[in-house]
Amino acid sequence: MLILQILIDGFVISALYGLGAVGFTLMFGVCGVLNLAHGGIMVIAALIGWWVAATYPVGPYGGALAGIIAGMAASYVTYFAVIRPIQRSRVIPKAEEEIFILTGTLLWGIMIQVGLDYVFSNNPVTMRALIPGVVSLAGVRTPLNELLIAVVCWVVIGAVSLLVNRTRIGKQLLAASINPRGLTLLGFEMSRIYLIVWTIYGLLAGIAGVLLATFLGAASTNAGALTASAFTVVILGGLGSVPGSLIAAYVVGYAETITAYLVAPTLRPIPALLILVVVLYLRPQGLLGRR
Amino acid sequence: MSHRLGNRFIVGATTALALSLGALVASPPAQAAGKGPIKIGVISEESAIVGQSISQGAQLAADDINAHGGVMGRKIVIVTYDDHASAADAVRAFQRAAEQDHVKAVVATFISEVALAIEPWSARLHMPTVTPAAASDLISKQVHDKYAQYKYMFEAWLPAPLLAQSICDSADDLLVKPLHIKTVAIMSEDADWTKPLDEGLKSCLPKVGLTVTTEVRFNPDTTDFTPIFNKIEATHPNLIVTGIAHVGVQPTVQWHDQQVPIPLGGISAQATNPTFWKDTNGAANGVITQTGTVQGLAITPRTLPVAAEFIKKYGHFPAFTGFTAYDAVRALAAAMQREHSTNPDKIVVGMEQTHMVGTLGNLGFYGRKDQFTHAARYGKGWITSTFMQWQNGKQVCIWPTDICHGKLEFPPFVKLPRMAAK
Amino acid sequence: MGRSLPVLLLIVALLAGGSAPLWLGAYFLGVLTTAFYFGVFAMSWDLLFGFAGEVNFGPTFLIGLGAYGAGLLNTAGLPIPLCLIGGATASVLGGLALAVPALRLRGPYFGLITLVAVLLLIDLIVIFAGVTGGEIGMMVPDVLSISARVNYWYAFGFMVISGAILFGLSRSALGLILQATGQDRIEAQALGFNVTKHKLAAFSVSALFSGLAGGMLTFYEGTASVDTVVDLSIAVQIIIAVVLGGRRTILGGALGAIALLLADELLRPLGQLNTFVVSGVALLGILFLPDGVLGLVLHPRRVRE
Repeated sequence: MLILQILIDGFVISALYGLGAVGFTLMFGVCGVLNLAHGGIMVIAALIGWWVAATYPVGPYGGALAGIIAGMAASYVTYFAVIRPIQRSRVIPKAEEEIFILTGTLLWGIMIQVGLDYVFSNNPVTMRALIPGVVSLAGVRTPLNELLIAVVCWVVIGAVSLLVNRTRIGKQLLAASINPRGLTLLGFEMSRIYLIVWTIYGLLAGIAGVLLATFLGAASTNAGALTASAFTVVILGGLGSVPGSLIAAYVVGYAETITAYLVAPTLRPIPALLILVVVLYLRPQGLLGRR
Repeated sequence: MSHRLGNRFIVGATTALALSLGALVASPPAQAAGKGPIKIGVISEESAIVGQSISQGAQLAADDINAHGGVMGRKIVIVTYDDHASAADAVRAFQRAAEQDHVKAVVATFISEVALAIEPWSARLHMPTVTPAAASDLISKQVHDKYAQYKYMFEAWLPAPLLAQSICDSADDLLVKPLHIKTVAIMSEDADWTKPLDEGLKSCLPKVGLTVTTEVRFNPDTTDFTPIFNKIEATHPNLIVTGIAHVGVQPTVQWHDQQVPIPLGGISAQATNPTFWKDTNGAANGVITQTGTVQGLAITPRTLPVAAEFIKKYGHFPAFTGFTAYDAVRALAAAMQREHSTNPDKIVVGMEQTHMVGTLGNLGFYGRKDQFTHAARYGKGWITSTFMQWQNGKQVCIWPTDICHGKLEFPPFVKLPRMAAK
Repeated sequence: MGRSLPVLLLIVALLAGGSAPLWLGAYFLGVLTTAFYFGVFAMSWDLLFGFAGEVNFGPTFLIGLGAYGAGLLNTAGLPIPLCLIGGATASVLGGLALAVPALRLRGPYFGLITLVAVLLLIDLIVIFAGVTGGEIGMMVPDVLSISARVNYWYAFGFMVISGAILFGLSRSALGLILQATGQDRIEAQALGFNVTKHKLAAFSVSALFSGLAGGMLTFYEGTASVDTVVDLSIAVQIIIAVVLGGRRTILGGALGAIALLLADELLRPLGQLNTFVVSGVALLGILFLPDGVLGLVLHPRRVRE
């Protein structure tokens, strides 16, 4: 009974972590960008979704749609206002682009958080469940909404992997992640490919933010923790590896859930951090990372 | 290194340092204390609803005092500082208030961590400081233990052990006798203010006939409460007593979505916000929390007029800190008037004599010999606090029973020991 | 330009800084006191990042160890100087414990492991609240002084001495080797330098000064708390200070920290939005002035190589 409860609860949490991390890792794999404003973009989607659903008669699905659109818009702004100026800057040395992107997105993330504080206050909010009600799974009371979240996460993750592995666009993305210069020589516009990645990224971050708001709730103050958890999952799985991120999401999700159930809820975040330390010492490139 | 490089370096460093020092000199000189208005500083976090209510309540009090002739014929001016909920930021704001803006007193913060960072500075700079909501018992303990140094700190609301007492007193009236509730589980976020709260609860709940089945403390960053509710349900309590402020919306929504069949009551600071119903999409239905007051309740003759003024000026009903900050400024002004002075030691003497009709009860501060020195006095004739329940989008007052006539109502998924409630 | 002018200017700046308590109000002295300690944080960070090329997200791990180490010793009854030494020792030992394995990692992996060190330190402080005071922090029995002037002089003297030592180190053989490894690790190794040994040395020096400054800050504030010495937002401020002031310049970090804290205070009338504006200006700064203020003075016409 308790084991089943841990299995179900951990599965949903991990699916959300996975969805949050897939866009993040794709972004690094193809564009070489570690976006530290990631949590901020998720929270924008969550808060806008909540606000639209609470203010206009569009229902929970209308709110969710608005949230996803807001997430995509935030993703574009991040790209055009922060990332592209750094990538195209003539005064930033190429070798140091990474630290500039980290610092730039860090600052951008702070601006997003403070801006959201100003507009929405830092009060946490939750969106109405997309499907209300509970079912009993072998005696475990489970909200339908949580099952829906797990399903949506996996459908979206599946769609992304189909897109990457089976379509022409996906093949271009893969090629760009392996050898951007070669792709440029073949006559592909890297800026077009970047734009596609930022679109997919915004979509994923938007969906993750909205689902988060219907399940766990969201507040501007969560932005930093969301970024940190995506960063952790992605590094643990191996930078740029989508399957690695998914495995890592489940390792972190279950480590936290098991600790909360069987040890003590106060210690929840610690085992995941310790696992990360051990993995990085033994296998610095992460679970499925390439060096 | 080449001399040329080194020289440029030093020139650059010097120029920049000179520029920044120049900026300092150019800033306006400190005003000499004179017969002008009396400034009171307000340090709070504007992006939190409880924080915003603090500066708004203080401003309202200043307006009222000024409309009635001010203090010693001088006007009260409120100077606000945003601390972004950071202790380091709050300390700098406090220094600025004291040393640059020359305020005569400070009303500061609803967060215990921040209040405790400010407290040594209030001692160092001899600045009378009132916190309108921070509840850690350490605040008053320091005043008690090192009175000569720390006497400048006051609390306009109840410290955590007294909050616990009010939970036990109200539970006795509301739950034990009428609803036959016999067992409770304590569920608190792992924060400083909940330690004395939990201690207080564990000692006073048995005295009113309630057995504590379990005490679950959880990380304040927790977002998934399923394991916590699961743990609690396994011990079969009749009631969950909460001690939460950092979290609130999430556990409430998950309690509702997962249909946890146990009533939720105690202190849930976020549930006191008028927006809580909307924030939780109605999942708050049935949640009980301690608060300052609710809309329409006249605890003292001052409650309703101040609430009405507040709504007129700011367009919404204040969080309870709006009332405590209002009372704090009035108490400070009265202390200055009583002692005919803005000298900090005189203000402390004046504050210690406070016995005034506040908005949430009669305000007075415990003395030097009492356990909770300079915290607001608790009990009949002073402040008792109020308990309310969310019912169909409204905050309904349920305790103290002599002024509140609301009846408890729970959502259908909640199971009570005997449904003899109605 | 003549040699005597910059020396003169430096002397003037030192005199101005040293004499500030005579002509500046207590409030600005207080702001500058904190800013000077942040300046030392930033300079220590720059030694590791700017010269060794390692993005360390965990400066507050070192600062926090120094601050809490010193605070705990003080609670146990030791006098302040011994506490500072003890705190700095804790910081160096903790820094080595982190650096020995962490330096095997590169880039974002190194960054994350230093970030995790901070998160674990915060969790430990909260879990062992009985000793550390948890989130509310720990009051220390002693303070350096309650006089704003005396505190200012302590901080100013400490920053000047630390700045001189760190700047000297960065221009020494160690600094040059670090810079070489930061730019091309393989080549530096091929030239026969023990890269890891030099990086460890840089980490230790960085930890020493971070820990000392953390301890001093604790005895200035009278408290050590997660919020004031360990929180990630402090690391963010340090990183921004260095990038704005100028990487690989050491002194730029101090300038950046002073400018950042002053800007925060001068913009306080904006209330809630001051952080927004400061972050926005800093973002524009790194986009259009990536070498920072001192970098601009040093290489005015540099373009992308």
